[in-house]
Amino acid sequence: MKVSSVRYLVKEGAKNAWVNRLMTLASVGVLVACMVIIGLAILISENVNKAVGKLEQQNVVMAYMKDYNWALYGDKTDASSTDTSSAEDSAAQTSEETQQTEEQADENGIKNSDYVIHNDDEAKALCDKIAQLDNVASVTYVTSDEGLESVKKSMLEGQESYFTFLDDKYGNPMSGAAKITMKNMEQFDDTVNQIKNMDGIDTVQSQNDLADKITAIKRGITVAGFWIIAILMVIALVIVSNTIRVTMYNRKLEISIMKAVGATDSFVRIPFVVEGMIIGLISAVLAEGLLYFCYRVATETIISTLGTSDIVRYGDVAWWLLLVFAGIGVFAGILGSVIMISKYLRHEGSEFSAI
Amino acid sequence: MEEIINERVPEQSRPIIEFRGVSKTYPTGTHALEDVNIRINNGEFVFVVGSSGAGKSIFMKLIMREEKANTGIITVNGFNLTSMKRKQIPLLRRTMGIVFQDFRLIPTMNVFQNVAFAMHVVGASDRNVRKEVSKALSKVGLGNKARSMPAQLSGGEQQRVGLARALVNSPDLIIADEPTGNVDPNMSYEIVSLLTEINKRGTTVLMVTHDHNLVRDFQHRVIMLDRGKIVADNAGGSF
Repeated sequence: MKVSSVRYLVKEGAKNAWVNRLMTLASVGVLVACMVIIGLAILISENVNKAVGKLEQQNVVMAYMKDYNWALYGDKTDASSTDTSSAEDSAAQTSEETQQTEEQADENGIKNSDYVIHNDDEAKALCDKIAQLDNVASVTYVTSDEGLESVKKSMLEGQESYFTFLDDKYGNPMSGAAKITMKNMEQFDDTVNQIKNMDGIDTVQSQNDLADKITAIKRGITVAGFWIIAILMVIALVIVSNTIRVTMYNRKLEISIMKAVGATDSFVRIPFVVEGMIIGLISAVLAEGLLYFCYRVATETIISTLGTSDIVRYGDVAWWLLLVFAGIGVFAGILGSVIMISKYLRHEGSEFSAI
Repeated sequence: MEEIINERVPEQSRPIIEFRGVSKTYPTGTHALEDVNIRINNGEFVFVVGSSGAGKSIFMKLIMREEKANTGIITVNGFNLTSMKRKQIPLLRRTMGIVFQDFRLIPTMNVFQNVAFAMHVVGASDRNVRKEVSKALSKVGLGNKARSMPAQLSGGEQQRVGLARALVNSPDLIIADEPTGNVDPNMSYEIVSLLTEINKRGTTVLMVTHDHNLVRDFQHRVIMLDRGKIVADNAGGSF
């Protein structure tokens, strides 16, 4: 197609939108509403994802180790039974058992072979081993002293004295632990089982319920977002198609003359497609502005009333949203007009006579 | 173009329109045309006459390939309309100019724009549009009305704009569907005179009319249709 034709057709499309401005305005209004709702759905989903992400980070798994304190307070006979996972481990166990006969128990009656993790180096090595699991995001070694401090802090005022008593009389009852966060909550249970089966781990404390809830929330948001966008896309398509249909009937005379003088179907179609695109793009820009205004007011209110500033900034998603809106607008504009005009042009025998 | 047009020979005797055993029946069972055989040569001026329902409209629609025949072969300007693909129809129509009874001018465009519209559609450059539109308007005697809106013109003037629009792409064939139907008798003579002038310069003219006086006075070939059949085909304005 020649440049002069393209220029002419684009001009015609813009002229259509202007001549048919009431319908254009109505379509833009409905499209803007659809886009704002889609934008809100995206922003809500982003914010919930951010909050859920924080929850995920807080959903810490504590893996307690079989160290001296565990041997002191726990069930010592467990020490040997845990070492049966592999042939290599069994061999090591046999050699330990041989040594056991020569070993001396300390003042608390604990022998070296009664526990698996003997020092901080072994504890850190175990943490490194946990960190190598696919779904593990981070691992921090928490010494027994740090563990006790943490427990004391979490208790209500006055209740911590109970631990002080324990501490003074029997020493620290807490074992060393690995503080673990996970990447994907959907693989939570599998990862917990993998950690549980590791040599040197006594017990794993986790909040399965929370992990399940987080996964369910994420899934729910994704599904709801998808349907909201899909339904609104269909609405947008119907609205643009209707506007194009009105323009088309208003321009029946021009179309009949075009056909009579030898215009190709695409030549007839292009001004309508341009009109649809113009409607879509104007709507995208207006929706972006309106959403920015609404979101700003909403976030300012949330920040001032709830005091939280942990909200997705509009600036971070502005370009992305504009692209989504423009995409929706252009897609609805092109598809709506192509469907309508093609249907009309295919109807043979009505080109000149049905005016 | 080469694939579609079968050896276009610009000879006076070459048929520009040819119907061979053409019939058209509507899905309702009505026979619009029955076994029509006709040959119109390049450069002829032909009146098509007949009462309402005689088949004049369907005859024109078949030539413009607005409708398709059920049986028979139609050739127009070297295009075989029977085997023609939909996307080739615009190419056929670019070889003809159409004049409508109701003028079909776009009310929001002025005279110049109405004529230029037909050139824009076929992708003409702005420069060419300016040149050819002015020429076409001069031919129909409306050179000084280029900026007028259709509503400011008389019926005869509006039809002359329609004629300029049909002429502007220099077609080989002009199809005029009752072009004098909505204008007064004096203006009717003027319009047919213009068409005769155009015909003298080599363009074939096919004009549907009800006006017996025009047919008699202008002395061209007359094809008469009745109930879907050609009942008379006379040279020299008699029927």
